[in-house]
Amino acid sequence: MCRVPVRPKVLDVRKATPMCDWKAELKRQLEERRIDPTRHFTVIEELALHLEDRYRSLVARGMSSSEAEQSVLQELEEGEALERELRRAERAAPVSVPILGDHPRPRAMGSWGQDIRYAARALRKSPGFTAVAIITLALGVGANTAIFTIVNAVMLRPFAFADSDRLVRIWESNPERGWPTFSASHPNFLDWRAQAKSVEGLAATTGASFALTSNQGAEIVRGASVSADFLPVLGVSPALGRNFREEEDRPGGNTRLTIVSDRFWHRQFGGDPLILGRTLKLNGTDYAVVGILPASFSWGTNLDLLVPLAPDPARSRGDHRLTVIGRLKPDATVDQAQTELATIAAALGQQFPDSNRGWTVRLATFYDWIVPTEIRDSLLVLMGAVALVLLIACGNVANLLLARGATRQKELSIRTALGAARWRIVRQLLTESLLLAMVSGAAGFAVAAGVTRLLVAYGPESVPRLDEVSFDLNVLGFASIISLAAALLFGLVPAIQISRQRPADALRDAARGSSPGEGRHRLRSVLTVAEVALSVALLIGAGLLLRSFARLQQVDPGFNVAPLMMMRVNLPRSTYTTGAAMAAFYDRLLSDVRSFPGVAGVATSSGVPLAGDSTATEIRLTDRPASTGESLSADWRLVSPGYFAAIGVRLRGRDFDARDRADTPPVTILSESTANRFWPGEDPIGKTVVLRSFGETPHTIIGVAGDVRSYGLDSDPTPIVYGSSMVYGGWNPMSLVWRSAVAPASHVLALHDVVRRIDPSVPLYDIRSLSDLLTDSFGPRRFNMYLLGCFAGVALLLAAIGLFGVMAYLVSQRTREIGVRLALGADRRDIFRLIIGRGLALAVVGALIGVSSAFWLTRVMQSLLFSVSATDPGTFVTVPALLVIVAMIACYIPARRAMKVDPVTALRAE
Amino acid sequence: MTAITNRILDRELKKGSAELIILALLEARARHGYEISQIIEQRSNGTVRFKVASLYPLLYRLERRGWIVGQWVEKEGQRRRRYYRLTRAGRKVLAEQRQGWLRFVAAIGRITATEG
Repeated sequence: MCRVPVRPKVLDVRKATPMCDWKAELKRQLEERRIDPTRHFTVIEELALHLEDRYRSLVARGMSSSEAEQSVLQELEEGEALERELRRAERAAPVSVPILGDHPRPRAMGSWGQDIRYAARALRKSPGFTAVAIITLALGVGANTAIFTIVNAVMLRPFAFADSDRLVRIWESNPERGWPTFSASHPNFLDWRAQAKSVEGLAATTGASFALTSNQGAEIVRGASVSADFLPVLGVSPALGRNFREEEDRPGGNTRLTIVSDRFWHRQFGGDPLILGRTLKLNGTDYAVVGILPASFSWGTNLDLLVPLAPDPARSRGDHRLTVIGRLKPDATVDQAQTELATIAAALGQQFPDSNRGWTVRLATFYDWIVPTEIRDSLLVLMGAVALVLLIACGNVANLLLARGATRQKELSIRTALGAARWRIVRQLLTESLLLAMVSGAAGFAVAAGVTRLLVAYGPESVPRLDEVSFDLNVLGFASIISLAAALLFGLVPAIQISRQRPADALRDAARGSSPGEGRHRLRSVLTVAEVALSVALLIGAGLLLRSFARLQQVDPGFNVAPLMMMRVNLPRSTYTTGAAMAAFYDRLLSDVRSFPGVAGVATSSGVPLAGDSTATEIRLTDRPASTGESLSADWRLVSPGYFAAIGVRLRGRDFDARDRADTPPVTILSESTANRFWPGEDPIGKTVVLRSFGETPHTIIGVAGDVRSYGLDSDPTPIVYGSSMVYGGWNPMSLVWRSAVAPASHVLALHDVVRRIDPSVPLYDIRSLSDLLTDSFGPRRFNMYLLGCFAGVALLLAAIGLFGVMAYLVSQRTREIGVRLALGADRRDIFRLIIGRGLALAVVGALIGVSSAFWLTRVMQSLLFSVSATDPGTFVTVPALLVIVAMIACYIPARRAMKVDPVTALRAE
Repeated sequence: MTAITNRILDRELKKGSAELIILALLEARARHGYEISQIIEQRSNGTVRFKVASLYPLLYRLERRGWIVGQWVEKEGQRRRRYYRLTRAGRKVLAEQRQGWLRFVAAIGRITATEG
């Protein structure tokens, strides 16, 4: 050592060593206290380097080491002012310590800004971690936001009508006959409207399609007949022109008027404002256009125009066909209105026992009417499911953060050692989580925009208001809130856990490279178990839907769906005034189509299965007294001869044929379930029934047709009675159904030609294949199944990644232990089993928890299931088994790695 | 001449343009302290020499002002060194100081030119 500490005796000591300890010399000269302590080491080191360089170069020039050293020291001493100069230099700017620890007096914004910058840098430094975390979270946030966007539009946003919470739908209801909600008849509606005090107004409407003829040909337009108070009750006024007047809404009044929709106005008239007063030829009659609806108006789908309803007090009270709506007075409740209208209905029942006995009234808010429970249930189930996906995503990111925390332990410990308070470290880590969440939230919003577009495009038509889906502040707020909540969820626990370790332990651990606290590993295991449990619950939900769907597709619709096509034909009443005229048209049409090559069967019917057609009549037995109440509500259909053969329904007895005419005793064909209801085990052919809609004349049963599921495969076959369309002509519109050995769609053009040849003013529309109708009827279920299946798949993937991560980490942490075991003679297969066993243990515990929670959770989806119990044993066994297999795959790679540990390397690394 | 360049000129006169020298040497690339002192000595043929006690305080002062930045660099096979490089602010100052110096030299030249 050189002349430390005594300066005068330099030379003696110096000879002993080739080089002086410059640092010690400098330290002696520069008292630590006089210079900023954080700079002290740097300054000393840098100056010492300089001195040594100088010394070496002098030696290189040929100086002896002692001379060189003396020269260097001399130079140093020439600068007596070194310390003073340094101090002055250091004072040149205010001393600011690079913030590793806490500020004595932190500037609030400044330190946050610093946290954010630091966090951004930390995230940039590990791009792999950051990318995985952001993708995981963006998927979670995106899926949640997308489903919320739908929920928001369908369930949360108010309807486009003013004070829409006061709008109600009113049905007639006959609980005795099992008709909870039924349309209202004209006179009943008029009586309600005259007497009800709890409502500001009542209005009635009924759907009406018209054949619009112009010089461009004939087309079908969708309209509605509405009472004059319909628009006022909804709080809507025409954008242009006027509403119908009261005197135009009465039988005998001038009802040849129409208000057209904005869309129709633009489509048909190019938005010409001079359209008011012009006429449209609807069903062969001129209607004057008096108004145009606002563009925002929406009622049902694709409404083209309104015409006056002119409710008629002289019509039958038993003829139920009106949709009645009302607006409650501001202080009235639904219950009050319900009670009042039920009282009115009871009085009507006494007054008109023949038609009104047993009939009461049922009210529901627009919301309950338009957004049915089933839709709400399925949206809530989906919302719950995506929330679980997000939870699992959070679990994964928390796991990543914990693993990352282990590698960052040293950095954090140094900061703690330098005086950072624990809350400051937690804050720093949380800032990183928040930053992650913000970036993921933004990415998630983009994901949501894409997913929502898909959902709207491919969502089933039966979900109401899907066309109103759009992003608004609610959605933005939701996305922000779940992103922040996620940040807290996945960030807080790791932050606390990581900051808990004492710096001294951590530094020692880090230096030794040994495993971090057992606590953290336990936490990661708990997270993994939770992820597995959540994904099992989701998978079970998805499995139940899948099974329901599979069961549904095995259901026999009762007819031969695949080769069938349908097309509706609307005969203008102005031309076809009698049933006979209509029958003649169809006769010709059928015989023309029958001659098409490849057509194996063709018929007309007043209603097609799965097409949503519904016409009900009451059936009564003639051979039993009416007082026994033996009556049944059934759908009626008017079909042409050959209908059953055409659609592939088996028929016992005989079909309608030319023997059945208007002047012969009336005959009918019953569906099997109708027949069994009245004559179980007996042959009904030859017996008679009264079909109320066809008068009181008894009809002789000539045949029994197989049951048909008219309303979808998930509803039981409804009772149906068939009448001959050759006898009961005059129903409009009729549907043409045809079956073909070649592609049935190939006949569509030829059909148009045939109809145009017979009568060019007859419009054809609703050209569909029945298998499309069947697919559509699966729509909502398939939608639920696909979505829940997707979510469950993502959940499973995330849980598997989580498990893989934990096991891989475990193996890397236990490499030394494994090395020791191997060195002591353990079998490599035992090591493999050890790791797989550990992973499986986590998976099995998770699966058990998942199964038991699914037991409770799946109850909420009862209404979405079809002939599968919410606790279906098959699903509850298959899903955990599937999960265990996936878990084994996830553990395989880490276990292989553990097996291949080289004991020598593992131990030497220590 | 603006007030700022006046002030700079004044300071340069006093300090013998030490700052200008350092900044100019760092203009092309980053250098460490010893390298700087060697270059100064070589290029001036030993006329100008910066001692430890004046060189490093000066470097630190420039660093504090944000004109240069020092960074420890460890290269394989070499010793750890603190390299200084010019910041953007430093580059601007260098340009100003160079201008001022040239004006100063020109002015001195005109003043001391032999009258005749």
